Amino acid sequence: MKPPLFLFRHVTKRFGDRVLLNIDEFAVSEGVCTLISGDNGAGKTTLLKIVSGLVKPDSAKVQVKDVEMSWAKARAKIQRSVVYLHQEPYMLDTSVERNVAYGLRLHKEPRASIYEKVAEALRWARLDHLAHRNARSLSGGEKQRVALTRARIVNPSVLALDEPTTNMDQQSRISTYQLIDELRNEGMAILVASHDQTGFTPIADHHFQLLSGKLIEVEPAFKRSRGTNITRLPG
Amino acid sequence: MESLTDASLKALSLLVSGDAELWAIISISFGVSLQAILYTTPVALLTAYALAHFDFPGRRTLVSLFHTLLAVPAVVVGLTLYLILSRSGPFGDLKLLFTQTAMVLGQMALSFPILVAMGHSALQSADQRVWETAHTLGATPLRAMFTVMHEVRYGLFAAVIAAFGRIIAEVGCSMMVGGNILNYTRNITTAIALETSKGQFAQGIALGIVLLVLALVLNYSLSTLRHRLAMQA
Repeated sequence: MKPPLFLFRHVTKRFGDRVLLNIDEFAVSEGVCTLISGDNGAGKTTLLKIVSGLVKPDSAKVQVKDVEMSWAKARAKIQRSVVYLHQEPYMLDTSVERNVAYGLRLHKEPRASIYEKVAEALRWARLDHLAHRNARSLSGGEKQRVALTRARIVNPSVLALDEPTTNMDQQSRISTYQLIDELRNEGMAILVASHDQTGFTPIADHHFQLLSGKLIEVEPAFKRSRGTNITRLPG
Repeated sequence: MESLTDASLKALSLLVSGDAELWAIISISFGVSLQAILYTTPVALLTAYALAHFDFPGRRTLVSLFHTLLAVPAVVVGLTLYLILSRSGPFGDLKLLFTQTAMVLGQMALSFPILVAMGHSALQSADQRVWETAHTLGATPLRAMFTVMHEVRYGLFAAVIAAFGRIIAEVGCSMMVGGNILNYTRNITTAIALETSKGQFAQGIALGIVLLVLALVLNYSLSTLRHRLAMQA
């Protein structure tokens, strides 16, 4: 069994007197989808942002390839590996194509190669017909798919998704489950914070509930048969 | 003293005939103000970004200070710069008084707080998700800053337009540190003041027309940008 990409230990985060997170251990592993559920305000978003390197915890240790270091020291490594997607993804005020190309343009890839990859990624997400539309004019489900495509194209090791199916209709949710399942099958570690337990439980390898700052495994890890027909899942 | 009608007709004739002295004044005005805005904008926007993005002790005091500086009269800025650049001042040796450089410096001082205050408001209104999205997709802090600025570009353009409108129409500072020297430091506003004091209104009116047209163009641009900002929101 491969060691986890990141093993977070003793993660704490306070807001004033309130202890929001007090997690002993949390592993992020290649090709594993982890569902985190919990009430509103339980700290799901904060946990995902800590794991993505966007929010600083009060304390945390991170084990990367058998080497343990402080969160601050691991932050650069985390940020290179993890892409965080907001509950309502932010669309840059430009076309879908340029939104998807954003991450690649940061890495100074040749222009021709960028647009070749973007075209392929848009086909993968079935968004090619929207390539030249302003991304802000899309529906919630389409924006979420653009955000997933924009994340996938930079080839992260970990994808942290915050409530990815909120305010989506049934069809968009099914489409999102399918894309997430494909990404996991490609070997990406997927972290999902969601209330939508029914939809994600069949995809998730682990399901944790965030309760009083602690992560409690809801059901033991199960081996899911690859190729589950997600379209049959209840919504 | 000529009648208003005669003076206005002469003014139009001066503008249309391409009067060399008049167009030299206009060109000095635009040259000085464009230089001032060009040099000030990058530093002011970086300052605005730092004030909007980073939390550090004294940040709120600094924001209040820049808002206060918006109300400082141009003549006070001119007086301060005059004292600094005059022969007995700390930078007297540079011999900058009564030069275009001094005018540029004065207009930079006038435009800086406008750009910082308006730029800060625009950048503060930027969605936190812009920075997080840029960062998580691999942007360096510098690149993330440019992404944030791009997303609020209409607000930043509005700041630049407002600052340019303020400095090209100011008279106090240019008069004090420029000295109103013909074909060198005489700009639109100082020329209007001079011609009016001489009772010769034609050139003053012609230059006034230029300023009015400019004000119209700037205001139209500002309202277009505000409309786009509203659409963006």
